[in-house]
Amino acid sequence: MLSLGPIIFGVILGLIIGSQIKLDALGVKFTLASFVVILIAGIIVAWQLGPYPFYNDLPISTAFLSALIGIFVGKLLFARSK
Amino acid sequence: MSQGSMILKIISLPISIILICLGIMTILGGHITPGGGFQGGAMIASGIILSILVYGIGNSPLEFSHFYVEVLESIGALGFVILGLIGLFVGGFYLYNVGTDVLNIIPATIQNVLHYPDVTNAGIIPYLNIFVGLKVFAGLSSIVIAFAGFKKLVEEGE
Repeated sequence: MLSLGPIIFGVILGLIIGSQIKLDALGVKFTLASFVVILIAGIIVAWQLGPYPFYNDLPISTAFLSALIGIFVGKLLFARSK
Repeated sequence: MSQGSMILKIISLPISIILICLGIMTILGGHITPGGGFQGGAMIASGIILSILVYGIGNSPLEFSHFYVEVLESIGALGFVILGLIGLFVGGFYLYNVGTDVLNIIPATIQNVLHYPDVTNAGIIPYLNIFVGLKVFAGLSSIVIAFAGFKKLVEEGE
């Protein structure tokens, strides 16, 4: 059974942090492809973590993946430049 | 204050994001596994600290304003106190675990949103973990942001 709690709160906490990401003064260019690579790496990490925190869930860590999605959505929707 | 080379600058933002996700995951599993609000909050803060150390205080991609940190820390502290007071008024003791449906008005689907397949019930512990995690992450991040700002001020004064 899929637990909705880690997904909901993971996205909320990810949105809180992702909304503050600002990429315009880094000195390094992070393109869309960079974030796709980060997403793929995150999916691999989530898969290796297993069904954490609830042990009868999907075979990936839903909390980790929803936090990652929350960070990206927050960066896309709410992040502003410096 | 930026000390990072190009390789560090390329690799530290992805590592910071992964660290933050691990911290959020630790917070959300704190009521049934080792870890919890403090540990998860410290992991989130470590991602932000890594980013500040590599990119410098003015250029970091993960840098929070004074107001934002203040709001997050206040929400964490207020949430903790309010949950404790609910336990005091309903159960008679501060932070008494009153469960997720004090007034018998919350539907079962929302009550069970953070339940896990076990005979025991975590009650308010996951929500306490979330508030503690917010407070710890905001507190540790603000300490490092302040230290980095002081160092920058000293360097500019010399």
